[in-house]
Amino acid sequence: MASPWLDVLDDTIRACAAHERQDLVDRLRVRRAQLVEPRVRVLVFGEPSQGKSQLVNGLLNAPVCAVGDDLTTTAPVVIRHASEPVATLVTGGDDEARAIEGPGHRPVPIESAAARANADETVVRAEVGLPRELLAKGLTLIDTPPVGAPTARHTRNALAALQQADAALLVSDATKELSSSELDLLTRVCALCPTVVVVLTKIDMVPGWRRVAERNQAHLARGGLPVTVLPVSASLRLAAARAGDTALNEESGFGALVQYLHRDLIGHADLLRRRSVAALTRLTADQLTAPLRERLAAAKETDTDELTARWRAAGRKLEELQRESQRWQTLLSDEVADLVADLDFDLRDRTRRILREVDEYFEVADPAKDWDEFAEWMYENLRAVAETNSNWLLDRFEWIARKIARQVAPRGSGSLRERWLESTQLDDHVGELRRPAIERFGVGQKLFVGMRGSYSGLLMFGLATTLAGMSLINPISIGAGAAFGAKSVFEERGNRLKRRQSAARTAAHRYVDDFFLIYGKESKDTVRMIHRDLRDRCTAVAQELRVEITESAKRIKEVIDTETAQRTARVRELSKSIDELTSLRRRAQSLTAAGTVRGLTA
Amino acid sequence: MSLAEVTWSLLNRALEAYGDSPQATAWLRRHLARFHDPVRLAVVGPARAGKSTVVNALAGELVAEPGVPDTELSWYQVRQSRSRQELLLLDTPPVDRDTESRVVEGICMEADAVLYLMRHPQDADLAFLRAVQDHPVARAAPVTALGVLSRADELGGGRVDAIVSARQIARRHRREPGLSGLCQDVLPVAGLAACAGRTLREDEFELLAALAALPKQELDPLLLSADRFAADEARAALLERFGLFGVRLATTLVRRGARGQAALSAQLLQRSGLGELRDAVELYFTDRADVLKARSALIGLEVVLRMEPRPAAGPLLAELERTVAGAHEFRELRLIAALRTGRVRLPEELSEEAFRLVGGYGGEASARLGFEAAEAAGPALRHEAVGALRRWQEYAGNPLLGAAERRAAAVVIRSCEALATS
Ligand SMILES: Nc1nc2c(ncn2[C@@H]2O[C@H](COP(=O)(O)OP(=O)(O)OP(=O)(O)O)[C@@H](O)[C@H]2O)c(=O)[nH]1
Ligand SMILES: Nc1nc2c(ncn2[C@@H]2O[C@H](COP(=O)(O)OP(=O)(O)OP(=O)(O)O)[C@@H](O)[C@H]2O)c(=O)[nH]1
Ligand SMILES: [Mg+2]
Ligand SMILES: [Mg+2]
Repeated sequence: MASPWLDVLDDTIRACAAHERQDLVDRLRVRRAQLVEPRVRVLVFGEPSQGKSQLVNGLLNAPVCAVGDDLTTTAPVVIRHASEPVATLVTGGDDEARAIEGPGHRPVPIESAAARANADETVVRAEVGLPRELLAKGLTLIDTPPVGAPTARHTRNALAALQQADAALLVSDATKELSSSELDLLTRVCALCPTVVVVLTKIDMVPGWRRVAERNQAHLARGGLPVTVLPVSASLRLAAARAGDTALNEESGFGALVQYLHRDLIGHADLLRRRSVAALTRLTADQLTAPLRERLAAAKETDTDELTARWRAAGRKLEELQRESQRWQTLLSDEVADLVADLDFDLRDRTRRILREVDEYFEVADPAKDWDEFAEWMYENLRAVAETNSNWLLDRFEWIARKIARQVAPRGSGSLRERWLESTQLDDHVGELRRPAIERFGVGQKLFVGMRGSYSGLLMFGLATTLAGMSLINPISIGAGAAFGAKSVFEERGNRLKRRQSAARTAAHRYVDDFFLIYGKESKDTVRMIHRDLRDRCTAVAQELRVEITESAKRIKEVIDTETAQRTARVRELSKSIDELTSLRRRAQSLTAAGTVRGLTA
Repeated sequence: MSLAEVTWSLLNRALEAYGDSPQATAWLRRHLARFHDPVRLAVVGPARAGKSTVVNALAGELVAEPGVPDTELSWYQVRQSRSRQELLLLDTPPVDRDTESRVVEGICMEADAVLYLMRHPQDADLAFLRAVQDHPVARAAPVTALGVLSRADELGGGRVDAIVSARQIARRHRREPGLSGLCQDVLPVAGLAACAGRTLREDEFELLAALAALPKQELDPLLLSADRFAADEARAALLERFGLFGVRLATTLVRRGARGQAALSAQLLQRSGLGELRDAVELYFTDRADVLKARSALIGLEVVLRMEPRPAAGPLLAELERTVAGAHEFRELRLIAALRTGRVRLPEELSEEAFRLVGGYGGEASARLGFEAAEAAGPALRHEAVGALRRWQEYAGNPLLGAAERRAAAVVIRSCEALATS
């Protein structure tokens, strides 16, 4: 019996399972069981005291449902066909709140079933079986608690019950027109259970009921609800049954209602089923689709903008670094060239001053007598020159190093800068060599200190050791030796002062020239070496910086790529699910394409 | 000084303080003038609740036009009758959730008291009743509203005994927290039948009598449905006036021996619930007109003090607040309703005495102390009052009393004190 609606329903259940909505699966399974039964479930619902229960009684000509002037019905009554009148109260069961007790079925006398059900909080519904022709044809009638009653539980239950109905009767009495809340309710109901009629009750007591019926029909039309209005009077129907009065029965309007149930509902059970499944599937598909759509929108929205921006920034940074490296190399060369020139000038200037003093000194002094003292003086002076000049060199390099460092690792390179600081903090002994007086370590300082670490040795062996004696002492000793050699000659030959003085001057000049040459060369070598070292270090740092940025750009790019890939996959997956549900919905829609029934919303 | 006297003097002092403000002066003068008017009772409710019909029933003549949607406030004066005091009735356009607050406020300002009509108490929209109390003075005590289950015949499907069952529904609701906090009492009335009964015409009585004279098996089928009854033109007119319930009730009453137009009219009045409604209006509103008038005037005064604040009015505001907070009269009115509706339960005799002492049978000292007005003399009254005071103090000392009873006893004691010292 592969009917198309059953296929659709099963596919819907499968879809619910696929989307892990066990609640929907459970509900649909219950509904499926009902739908495969050859019965039409008709739900009677409406606002309080509209005559719902009395309507059911009128249809069955039996006081099965409790009727009262105040709020009466609190538990649904489900009425089916049975060969003998029977009634059971169902407690617990599908109501979650009472699940602990489990479902219970308690047989009760049929006359008091509804009243007991209403009086007992734990009863979820009363089930009644009656031998009636209408029911035997396959009708199940369900009387419900009022919608919009003070207790929200009733409304919720009534709407839940509607999902399990093949058709619904909205009961509204003739003492007033359909209220806006009733029209709202109808709109909601049509989505859950598309086969609805409005039953206008109590027409016996309202002289103007025809106008009310007309106006209701107009309200419905205006609300886009092509629902039929059937006017009835349960009082007349019951009175007619008691008196066996067919004319009165005719006046009660129940003839039309029963005919509707027979011909339009039971006679079109298959269509109702299709409609029910269509509505159910539509509703379920919408329920499943809504979160998918949300997620799809979210997936489409998740932006890698921030990442992309960072990636672009990295690229720009690299270009900038390239430009910078050109710039600082030039700067370094220029600065070093200036330094060399300045050092040279300084050295020349200082030595010239010394020579002037030497000349003045030997105007009067007698080398024979004063040479030792002079040599001492000369030695000290040249040592001072060398010290000042080389200190100047170091200071200038420190300054240059700072300046270049600012260019190589400008402020704000973030983590890179941190690491850069760490990497230059090597060599503890450096600090001992010349502990920087500045508390806060700026980049330049660090750079310089680090640099010194490496060239300090060079300095020691180059300049400082020179100063300490060795190569600088040598020419002096030689010179001195020459001078002392002469000394004895002078003393033996008598007072040829002038010549001695000139010889001493010449010796001193030669000595200073030697010093100038040797020291100058040492100094230039040092400058070159420091220059090279500084350049290498800066290049290394710049390189490191570049590598760092390139790496991070690569990582960002990777993240962007994988995220984009994932997102595309997710979007594709979600779209696919939505498409599937949409096609399911379309299939559901096509179930109802053919055939119309009176009072159905198409 | 009674609440009315205090209020009167407050209004006059305000008039002095606001002598230079024409607007305030006009407003205050209007409230002074209103002071001696009859109680203004507004009949309010959602569309087609039967407001105009109830107005007519209370007025005893067809002043308002029922069945036609009202769009504005209309006043109808009900003349003093033998037993009833004068009343000004206000028929109003329907109010519901969408009604502008301006309209609602207008009604609240104009009326001293309201009947709030509902067709089904369970889904009644109580926003209006809340709005009535949405004022600093009004909040002090909800003493000016009565809930009415109008068209009560329809609650019982138009059966002859419909009003009995409607009464039960009303009784349930008047004790429920929702309505009891908002109105003094809830009463059912089958307005259409009541109105027809009070304005019963000779020809109508004759037609009803003729119908009642028909054999049962002839009449009963006619009364089965409106359609059947209206088949004849004269009967259709009668149906229009009485409703099916009214016709059923009237014919039954005639059969049971209501001889003559006046007798039928009187019985319809009782059987439609209008009698009880009028009694309640008298008990809660017209008997204590001075209190309601004072309340309205205090609300009016508060509006002036709030809208045009000025230093000279400072003491007035303080005194207004003190007056409202201390107004024993409001508490008496609340207790009258609580005893009537069973919201407070006292032992039988005590309940009766409490009702009398707080003014349930009239606000004057003699009525409160259970004397016929004629024989009341000062010392006898005082003696009786002191006796009552002692009894109630003793009762209030009972440690087993619940909170509600204790509060009720405190109100009674305060009333006794006032009586003993006056
Ligand atoms: N005159 C007349 N009265 C009716 C008719 N149907 C119901 N009533 C009355 O309307 C009132 C409410 O009837 P119920 O059948 O209990 O109404 P309900 O809608 O089931 O009420 P709840 O269960 O409380 O929501 C009762 O007083 C009935 O007697 C009718 O056809 N004609
Ligand atoms: N059965 C019955 N019908 C009533 C009763 N009171 C009023 N009606 C009918 O209800 C309809 C409206 O009555 P109105 O008195 O005009 O109601 P209303 O509240 O003034 O209506 P609006 O001014 O339009 O809001 C009329 O057709 C009356 O016949 C009643 O107690 N019982
Ligand atoms: Mg019911
Ligand atoms: Mg009106």
